[in-house]
Parts: sequence; structure tokens; C-alpha cells
Amino acid sequence: MAYRRLGSLLLRRSERIPNFQNHQHIIGKTDCKQPSHQYVRNQKQLHTGKPVMMMKLLSVDELFAKRSLQEHLQKVEKEYNECLKTVTYSVTEDGCSEDEMKAKRTKISLLAPLIQSIRELDKKQKEISETEMLLKDDDAALRELAKLERESCFQDIQDLRQKVLELLIPEEEADMSDLVLEVTAGVGGQEAMLFTAEMFDMYEGFAQYHGWSFDVLEHMSSDLGGLRHASASISGLQSYKKMKFEAGVHRVQRVPKTEKQGRMHTSTMTVAVLPQPTEISFTINPKDLKIETKRASGAGGQHVNTTDSAVRIVHLPTGVVAECQQERSQLKNREKAMKALRAKLYSMKLEEETNKRYNQRKVQIGTRGRSEKIRTYNYAQDRITDHRISMTVHDVKSFLLGEDLLNEMNSSLQDFSNQETLMELLEEGSQEEP
Amino acid sequence: MWWSRTLNTGRCCLGCRRSGEKGIWSFHTRPIWSAPALPAGQITALQALDVWKRHFEEKGVPEPEHSSQHIIAHLLGAKTIESVEPQRLTEFLSKEKTEQVWQLCTRRLSRMPVQYIIEEWDFRDLTLKMRPPVFIPRPETEELVELVLTDLQKDPGAAEAHQTCLEIGCGSGAVSLSLLKSLPQLEAFALDQSQDAVDLSRENALRLGLQDRLKVYHMDVIKDADRMLGLFSSISALVSNPPYLFSEDMALLEPEIFRFEDYSALDGGEDGLNVIRQILTLAPGFLSNHGRVYLEVDPRHPPLIRQWVEENVEELRYMETRHDVSSRPRFCILQKEESHKDPKVDQD
Repeated sequence: MAYRRLGSLLLRRSERIPNFQNHQHIIGKTDCKQPSHQYVRNQKQLHTGKPVMMMKLLSVDELFAKRSLQEHLQKVEKEYNECLKTVTYSVTEDGCSEDEMKAKRTKISLLAPLIQSIRELDKKQKEISETEMLLKDDDAALRELAKLERESCFQDIQDLRQKVLELLIPEEEADMSDLVLEVTAGVGGQEAMLFTAEMFDMYEGFAQYHGWSFDVLEHMSSDLGGLRHASASISGLQSYKKMKFEAGVHRVQRVPKTEKQGRMHTSTMTVAVLPQPTEISFTINPKDLKIETKRASGAGGQHVNTTDSAVRIVHLPTGVVAECQQERSQLKNREKAMKALRAKLYSMKLEEETNKRYNQRKVQIGTRGRSEKIRTYNYAQDRITDHRISMTVHDVKSFLLGEDLLNEMNSSLQDFSNQETLMELLEEGSQEEP
Repeated sequence: MWWSRTLNTGRCCLGCRRSGEKGIWSFHTRPIWSAPALPAGQITALQALDVWKRHFEEKGVPEPEHSSQHIIAHLLGAKTIESVEPQRLTEFLSKEKTEQVWQLCTRRLSRMPVQYIIEEWDFRDLTLKMRPPVFIPRPETEELVELVLTDLQKDPGAAEAHQTCLEIGCGSGAVSLSLLKSLPQLEAFALDQSQDAVDLSRENALRLGLQDRLKVYHMDVIKDADRMLGLFSSISALVSNPPYLFSEDMALLEPEIFRFEDYSALDGGEDGLNVIRQILTLAPGFLSNHGRVYLEVDPRHPPLIRQWVEENVEELRYMETRHDVSSRPRFCILQKEESHKDPKVDQD
């Protein structure tokens, strides 16, 4: 419980003022060099001058210094050993039911990589205390050797700790899936639509940067070359895992091309990131679908020749609609509309589940809180600020290419989210203790 | 009457291709339909879209918006207007491009189908060359291909066994080429009574690099039955989108179809079953055991076909009727049943 309060307190306060008294061990290290790679990367992107980011990432060392983490690791190892014992014993005795056994076996295979890393880490730590003894040896050559040995051990320990942390964070069900990206113009009329078009291009660039495929499903443009609404199917390694942090309301502050008096406007657009389920993980009953085409009335077939191949699909139980007119082939349009529909329905289902799970979560990163303003693009100051982690980078033009700058911000969000998940995990663990 | 001339040219196409085709093209370059004047200054693609959309509306051309969009998108090197980059639509068109827009859109005033004007169209994942009077594939036929594909892919021995398919009335080659594209082991035979269709199928096969696995024959399923029985045997799937319109419906067709498409690809006789009956009569001779027939038909046809086959073709079993995406009974699937009368068939 203590951690929960501490964490949320820190996060909420951090939006206004940094709280140096209570959390010196967390925040006070802003100015000294940290070996953690996460930290270094963050500093690089920071605003010049005073650090703006107030919520700090903990270094690996800081995390391992936590008693709760050590307790959690011990707990996991104990659990693993118990499962292993049951499974091994039951070969001779028939104590457990088949289902229980199966669950235990799955648990073992899931935990195995983590346990292995924990054990390696223990081994290395023992090694290091042994080499420390040798450092006091009389033989200078031996001392030198021990020193080298210790350094390499340090490095190994760092790597292993990093690995343990990564393995501790559970994968979200949807993390491995592909996704459908939806952009929609918000407040601000034509200017919002122009911004939406730029954002859609940015994500196309981001997809290209990562080598993901980017396939436009819907594209409703405005007269001035803006975009009312568009969606695209994105697939590739870790595409959802990264893109989920882009969901939310993006705000632009600039003098629009359409503005005659040179006044600055604030407009918004919304990004939705819907995981694309695989055929196996999510099925839709064809009977629940109503498919509308221009050929639906009349005789169809050889009687009619149409060039309007648009397809609109309605999911009757939910009223969710998807349409596509991007292709000349009606079948292709149907396939694409179906893809968009599946993603919409699947994300509704996931959201329901996620809401249950994260009911008490205080900070909303990722797919939660889609209606929240997450990022501001300010042209006058040439900066982009992500409000979730109070991080600012400069050079809007380069950012909109969807390359390094966007990727760095995206990675920071990932790091923060990981830490958040980890804290939650430790917290749950400590709650379970009587 | 001006359109009776088209009819003549259209009819002529079936017999004498060269003069027929030339006839159609020269006919449309005549300034019979008044196009809006070429703009004096520069205009953007968006403005051109608007001018032509309104002009088509005025002249009663169906699908005015889609027609102008497809033609202009094509000239901008895209398939649909939605896939043209937004800023290109607001840029000025070159004088040359503007003239091309005017030239092609003017053709549409004669009610020429957009697919013939831009000389191509998409069928499933293929882009095919289109040329009058060869039948323009309809979206329902994309579903026919889906049915055949699903069955051929399900076939457990598909990997090793040599699968072949025969298409009767191939038109532009859409069905056979789609099957070949999706099934790399498949070999296909296709035939059409029109030399135009045969030529276009071959051309499309060549463009898609599928010519090695497709043999196209200039044959008439009614007149050349004997020749066909000598050529085709042990076929896994017989596919056809035969002419299935009732003769009386021909007069009700839109000018796009009536003036430009080959009648013999559309008119199925009094009850629309002339070619279908011939195909079903010959089918057992072409098919391997459990080989199947897949037909696209008029929604009134399935019960008639079922009854006729039960009475007239012993070796064929009517399997099922499938519906198109608009829930019309559109496809018939039949299967050749093992016959114990003919020992030769048993060996298959």
C-alpha cells in the first residue's frame, strides 16, 4: 500500500512542482551522471537548461535497491520451485488434477527464463564478493587480475538486472498483434484537418522507419488537402507495442495557412490505435454482419455494370460500422472494411477487459484514456511536449518525419510505462502479504 | 438512329474484330455529345472533377461523381481518387493533362463504361486490361473465384496432386488468372467463342506473367463440343460465368452494357439457360471423379438448374446453392459422382 500512495503522490505532484524533500533518492540525481542507459537517453532529449521532466525514471540500481523488488523476486522463485516440485512428484503419485498440472507446467515454462536470469545474477553476485576478497591480497598481479574480474562482473550484473526487469514486465495480450491506426480531425475546422493529414503522414513515416507495412484503409480528405478521417492497417515487429503510446488527443498551436490576420490557433486531432486480432484469437459471426454495396438493390450480376465499389459493413449487435472505398475491386474493399471492423470490435472487447484490470490505476499511459490530451505541437516555440511524462523535444519539422525524434519520445513513454507496470506489480505483491 | 449504328458495330465485333473495334473508336471521337469547353486558363484536378461531375449529372450519365473521379485518378496515375496525395488535387493540371481529361471524359458522355475508357479495371488483386466488346468482370464473379479457391485449397491432396481447371467463357481472363495467381501449382485451360476475348485473356496472362500455366482456346461450347471432349479430361474444377440473362431482359440493360459489351457474353436465351445446359451436359466428360462445376447464374436459376440436372445428367450431383454478398442465390456447385457404368472413369 505504501508504494501505491507514494507513487501516485509523486506522479500527481510532479505535474506541478518537483518534490525534493520526500523523494530525494529519486529526484535528487538529476544533475549527476547515471550509468543507466535509460537515464542517459532521456537526458539527451531534454529541454536545454533546466530539466522540465519531473517524473523521473529510476535507474536499474535504484530499482534493485528496493526491498519490494527483492521480495518479489524471492516470491517468484519460491512459486517456481513449488510448481516444479508438484510436477516432478506427480509422475509417481496422482495427486493433482490434469488441469492443475497443465496450468503448473505452463507456469514453469513461462517463468523459466526469468528464474534462469535470477540464478545467474545470484551467481555473479557471489563471484563479485569473492573477487573483492582477492582485492585485498598481497600479490599485486593478483590484485590487478581481480580488479579486471570485478569490472567484467559488474557489467554482467548490470546486463542481467536489466534482463530480469524486462522479464518481470508481463506482455499485454495485444502486444504481439498488428494494429489499425485511426486519425480523426477534432476542434479547429480546416486547420485541424490539415494537421490530421500531417499526422497521418508522420505515422506513415514512422512505419517506414521501423520497416512496418502501412496499408491505407479509409481516407476521407477535405477540399483544401486536409484529412477528416483516415485509417491504416500497420503490421510489423512490435508495431502495436510502440504505436499504442500514440493514442490520444494531439494538439497543434500555430498560425494556420488559412489564417489571414496572422493569429495563432489551437486545434486538435485524435489518434486511435486498435490492435488487430488474428483470425484465431477473435471471431465474428457472419450472421451478425450487414454488408452494404451499391449493387445491393436490383438484379446485380451481368445485369449491372457499376464503378462504385464502396463497401460498408455494419455489425448489427453493436452498431459498429466500417467502410472502405479505397480500391476498385469490391472484394478488396470488403476485405479492408472487414479488417477495420474486426479491429474496432476487438479493441472494444479489450478496452472492457482493460478497464476491469486497470480500474485503480492513477496514471494513464497507453491505450487507456483515449480522450486525454497527450501531446502539444507548438510551432512558435518549435517544440513538442508530451504531457504524460512532461517531456519536451525541439524541431517540429524533423519530429513530423516520424523518424528519430518521434522514436525517442516513443521509447521514453515505453520506459515510463514499464516502470509503472513494475511498480504496480511490486505493489500487488506487497498487498498479498498478510 | 445513332445508336442502331452502335448496335451494328457491336454485332460486327463478334464476327469481324478489326473493323468492329475500329468502328467503335472512330465513332466516339465524333463530337456528337457536347463537352464543356476546354478551360482557357489553368485548372486544378479538384476543379476538373467538379466540372465533369456536374456535366455528367446534367447529361444524365449514371455515377457522375465516380466516373469523373476514376478517369481523373487514372490520369494522375492512381486507382482511386482517395489514393491520390491530397496536395496533388489542389495543384494545377498541365495543359496536356487537361486535354486528356477532356478527351476521356467526353467518351463517357457516349455512355461508354469507365472500364473501357481507362482501358483497365481491378478484379480481386489483379489489374486487368479492358477492351470493348469483351465483357467487364462484375464483383459477384470475385466471389465465384473465392468459392473455387476455398475448395481447391481444402483438397487434402492438393499439394502433390496436379490440379487443373477449365473455364468456359473466359472474357478478359479474370477468373482463370485469379485462380492461377493464388494457386501456384494450378494449371488452367480457358476458352471463349470470341477472338477478342481470347486475345485479351492472352494479353492479360502475359502482363501478369501467368502465360505458362494458362492455355486459351478459341472455341464455342455449343459448336465445338467434340473438339473439347478430345482436349479436356480429369479436370478438377470447371468454372464458368456463362451468359445467363433472359433474352427478354436484354432490352432493359443500361446503355453501358447494351451498346458496348458483347451480347454473346450476356444473352443466355429465352430462359437464360442455353449455355448452362450445354456446359452441364458436357461436364461429366471433362471432370475427374468428384471434380466440381462452379457456375455464376441468375438468382432465378438455381432451382431450375437443380431440377434439370436431376432429370438429365445422371453423373452430376447438385451440391449446393451459394448466395452473393447481397444475399441473392447466385452460385451453383455441382459434383461428378463416381459412375460404375464406365470403368475408365473409375480409374481416375
